[in-house]
Amino acid sequence: MNRDLPIPAVISAIRPLTVDTSLVTLNTEPHHPVASSFLPGQFLELSLPGAGEFPVSYCGFPSVDGSIELCIRHIGHVTGPLRTAVPGDAAAVRGPFGHGFPLLAYVGQDLLLIAGGLGIAPLRSLLLALLAQRELWGRLTLLYGARETGALLFTDELLELQNRGMVELQLTVDHLEHCFDGPPYCRVALLPVLLDQLDLEPDRTCAAICGPPVVYPLLVSRLRQLGLSDDRIHLSLERRMKCGVGRCGHCAVGTRLCCVDGPVFSLAELAGIEGALG
Amino acid sequence: MAPQYIANHNLPLLLERLRRYAELHGPVRGEDGVVRFAAIAPGTLPDLSALRTLLPPKKYLLHPQETILNYTAAAGYQLQAEDVRSLILFGLHPCDLAGINYLDRVFLGDAPDPLYAARRATLTLIGISCTPDEFCSCHILPSPLNALSDLFLCSVDEGLIVTSGSPRGDELLDGVKDLLEEWEGAVPEDSRRFFGHAEAEQVRPEPDATLPEWQEFASHCLGCGACSLCCPTCYCFDVLEFCGLDSCSAERVRQWDNCLFKSHAEVAGGTNFRKERAERFLYRYRHKYRGFGPLQGVPSCVGCGRCRVVCPAGLDLRPLAERLEGRPL
Amino acid sequence: MKKLRVAIAGLTACSGCQLSLLNCEDELPRMLELFEFHYFPMASSPALMEGEYDAVLVEGCLSMPHEKELLQELRRRSRYLVALGTCAVCGGVAALRNGEEREQLRQSVYGENQVASETYEPLPLHRVVQVDAAVTGCPPEKEELLRLLAGLARGVLPVAIDYPVCTECRMRENLCLLTERSALCLGPLTLGGCSARCPSLGVPCEGCRGPVPEANLAEALEIYAEKGFDKATVRDRLRRFCPEWKL
Repeated sequence: MNRDLPIPAVISAIRPLTVDTSLVTLNTEPHHPVASSFLPGQFLELSLPGAGEFPVSYCGFPSVDGSIELCIRHIGHVTGPLRTAVPGDAAAVRGPFGHGFPLLAYVGQDLLLIAGGLGIAPLRSLLLALLAQRELWGRLTLLYGARETGALLFTDELLELQNRGMVELQLTVDHLEHCFDGPPYCRVALLPVLLDQLDLEPDRTCAAICGPPVVYPLLVSRLRQLGLSDDRIHLSLERRMKCGVGRCGHCAVGTRLCCVDGPVFSLAELAGIEGALG
Repeated sequence: MAPQYIANHNLPLLLERLRRYAELHGPVRGEDGVVRFAAIAPGTLPDLSALRTLLPPKKYLLHPQETILNYTAAAGYQLQAEDVRSLILFGLHPCDLAGINYLDRVFLGDAPDPLYAARRATLTLIGISCTPDEFCSCHILPSPLNALSDLFLCSVDEGLIVTSGSPRGDELLDGVKDLLEEWEGAVPEDSRRFFGHAEAEQVRPEPDATLPEWQEFASHCLGCGACSLCCPTCYCFDVLEFCGLDSCSAERVRQWDNCLFKSHAEVAGGTNFRKERAERFLYRYRHKYRGFGPLQGVPSCVGCGRCRVVCPAGLDLRPLAERLEGRPL
Repeated sequence: MKKLRVAIAGLTACSGCQLSLLNCEDELPRMLELFEFHYFPMASSPALMEGEYDAVLVEGCLSMPHEKELLQELRRRSRYLVALGTCAVCGGVAALRNGEEREQLRQSVYGENQVASETYEPLPLHRVVQVDAAVTGCPPEKEELLRLLAGLARGVLPVAIDYPVCTECRMRENLCLLTERSALCLGPLTLGGCSARCPSLGVPCEGCRGPVPEANLAEALEIYAEKGFDKATVRDRLRRFCPEWKL
């Protein structure tokens, strides 16, 4: 596999999830590692010919048929034009890159997934992987917050999983839109507040977090108060991973490179690094 | 076996002989007074008295701006193909050799960069000893002392002691053996340098982000990029894509970047992880003196002094580095 | 592929930027395959604005009431509005005397003669409408212009440059005119993208592309002062192309 050469992919579906976010499904070569062998939390580089390339976390489950699910917010130089793409349009992919969530270390543990905003994308991938081997893990809890109810992604899917008893789900929004009284399943509170009433066993719980940098410090201090040690807390960091292979020099966090050493780091690995959490 | 030696008066002959193997480049002083690595014209000598070229030899391996991929609807993305010609770089100082050695570790690692690897394979490196000035700090860093080359020339009275560092070097030596003499005199203790010593590499804690120096640097920095463009080991690149003036073709380009630029840590949506120039100096410091990723703990500074010489504001990270690293640099 | 409907308009300026587009003679046939230049008064007649545009390129600054109306009309009709050239981006030479009494300026140029149109202090486009992309330069670089158009044809806007002229000057391994020749070179303060066209020919940068983001004016002034250039000299030079420099 040549990690520098994007292989052809075709956009097979673009499903708008919110006003600015879509679930994009791509199809590439069957059995290619870029689609078939990644860990949740890893990322790929998606090219839109003529516009450029950007790093994006996997949002789905590995497939042998070459299909890849990605959750994309259309706010960037490449993701903007991607918004007007139609099924059949050409794209290209490289990956998988980086380190994902440590599934092996999670065996036998209770798992607490915490997602803020678009951070649900890699955690959906993690959740799907965990559910595929449900018997390997203890409790599965997902705390998920967004700005407002209209920005919550995959709610139907998540509520369905909750109803089937597959996951303990708590949703929250920062504020309610004027027209809503608020759906019954959703609280109005900042994401870290959900931790206040959480009943967990710190010695057998691992936390997997992805969200905007602004929520990390508060989440981390709350989890520490609950008794979780730093090696039980994993965070996915966002940086400008332009090449994905440790060469372009943009994505260092301290002296670690997000693209090859991350983007998922344990809190212990980030100790003492100024600005690591945003 | 006694060391091999080439008398200074035989240098023109040596150059002519090397020319048979490949195009010969070395430090050449232009009419504007700037010393650059460039083709050595037949019948002329490189400027071996110049202490440093403006750009380091990395320009041969990573071009300031270069196409890395081409896209067509029919073939998708294809790696840029390039006709690389064999090149001998003559007169590389130990710092520049160390710079190339460092870039090799980044670009020829587990998965070699295709363009870099192709160009590197055709380069023959001929190093030469030199005497540092007040801007240099090579003599205290381990990498220049241990730098690899195909041939290395060490100045002694009236000539140069020649040693080979690779099979390619052996081949070249063999081809010029009629120009070589046995050196009867003493060889300087360190055959590369006339002075200096290597310090052991040490892993050090994160530099203190609250030091007032970061802000001080930031207040003087023009953000011109000269420090890293002229650095033998700064390899950060930006990636751009340009459409062809048709309905489908495109090219992907990478170009030299600088960690002090505004966009270096910007992500889509406008979040900037190093919004303040002071934070970018800390980033630069880490990379130069502590190393990133797989090269964590390997300082990338080779002590050539270019960043200090070319900075219009005269900025110098060295005094701070000496304080933080606890040793002269 | 459906051709992109494009309008190209000139406000207060010398028309040089539009001309640099017309000067891309080798590329014009390919451009005509991608674009319908529907409204382009400088190049075609009659020029009537009609319907909606995918993109408009506007040269020049605003100095007359009707220009503001025209610009707003173009903005309303177009998906993308691109500021073309330094006058459109930062005011340019027409705005050189901004801040001075306009009646005096008028008299010094026209004396007691009546001037047909009412004018006001020239403004860059972004002061009046939202600008989606900018191609600066006096005139813009051909390459940059072609890349802009090629991108627009696929709905891609150019990535803004954030480095100064010095960066490309160093990439070209030029002699530094500021540090080595003590010339008043505005490279450190001026937006790059021109491949250091002037310094590469031994001519100090005149600042024609306008300010680079995060320009460190205070430090630059100190360096210029060391080279013997006082603040007024630097200010006059800087404001030649961009009156919005604050110093």
